[in-house]
Amino acid sequence: MPNTYYLILLAMLLCITALAGCLYLLKKSMGIIIKEPAKDVPVEAGSLPQKPAWVRFHVHYYGFALLFLAFDMEMAFMYPWAVVYKELGITALIDMGVFLMILFLGLLYTWSQGGLKRQ
Amino acid sequence: MWILLIGLYLFSVYFLSVLERRMVYKKWNFAAPFSTLAFLLVQEDVKPHQRDRIFYETAPVLFIAAALMAVGVLPFAKGFIITGLSTGALFINAAFAYIMVAIVMAGWAPNGVYSMIGGWRFLAQLIAYSMPIVMAITATVMRAESMSLVNIVASQTHLWNIIYQPVGFVLFYVAAMALAFLPPFDLPLAPGELAEGVWAEFTGVKLLLFRLGRLMLILSLSLAVTVLFLGGWEGPLLPGFAWTFIKTILVAASFFLCGQYVPRVQHDDLLEWSWKLLTPLALFNILWVGILLLL
Repeated sequence: MPNTYYLILLAMLLCITALAGCLYLLKKSMGIIIKEPAKDVPVEAGSLPQKPAWVRFHVHYYGFALLFLAFDMEMAFMYPWAVVYKELGITALIDMGVFLMILFLGLLYTWSQGGLKRQ
Repeated sequence: MWILLIGLYLFSVYFLSVLERRMVYKKWNFAAPFSTLAFLLVQEDVKPHQRDRIFYETAPVLFIAAALMAVGVLPFAKGFIITGLSTGALFINAAFAYIMVAIVMAGWAPNGVYSMIGGWRFLAQLIAYSMPIVMAITATVMRAESMSLVNIVASQTHLWNIIYQPVGFVLFYVAAMALAFLPPFDLPLAPGELAEGVWAEFTGVKLLLFRLGRLMLILSLSLAVTVLFLGGWEGPLLPGFAWTFIKTILVAASFFLCGQYVPRVQHDDLLEWSWKLLTPLALFNILWVGILLLL
């Protein structure tokens, strides 16, 4: 019964959220935080932070991230293909082979242009 | 039946935590999980002052919920399963994707430099591990002609997937360790350089949720290795769930053991290795299984 399964999963989600909520409430009822200087400052090697950590961060793996997007899209097509693969036989192999080859050439091209190293 | 099943899952989580402690401290301590639980319950709840309030409270809950969802569809034996979803193989992928979301949220929330770096590193780690893990699962789905995890085990009655597709097993194993950020891949935590990184600003019950969720994540991943590649509950003499339990514990022990002998990988090295070696290997694995199936 697929619908029952999803209901069970939803119930599990609700249960774990409720458990976490109970723990939070229990924690809250168990006492106060004693205020001391510099207690609530994030850890930073012994010194006080100079500025907030929410600044622009150079995500130097953006090349990989773009490749990842392309391959992740392809995975969406892969799952239904994998289920019917044996049924369709050699046609399925050639179809997906062409598709994967195009993507794989993209990976090789990125590699040849030096995209697969630290920017 | 239900009580037995829940008891088995709880016992597995308990045993994994004892096992992890055994691997680190070299001696058995069966009371340790309970004393850690008690300690974390009474620990003072220190919160950083400029935090993102919503993310700080919700990240641990999302983390443990994602791990629980993955556990919910993995079978211990035929009929010994919480939900036998017919799209189980896809569902565990979806659940594992939220692990990354939770960790990046937890890295962002405290407004601390170390946790922020840990969060961004785990995002890089996702880009590295997700292709091998997804493609290895796809190859097992191809053999079973079904995304149901029960059918995937049934397809391995005569020959386990570890022999049928050894490349896929190695890829899944390595990627699973990266997903659970176990030692050679513990980039978001990195006790030596980031001082527990993402988890550094979390105390008390939030840390408890994270650590419990991590244990459930390790359980779900070693269970997934067992179900997808080691023939699940197939085995002589003992009942099915006992075989699954033994195999799962052995896989988890090997996870912990591997981590002790391999130095931590740098995250840009991990990305390069993943895209230059593991992704082409994963494509090769799909081709390999495809040709074997047509023969």
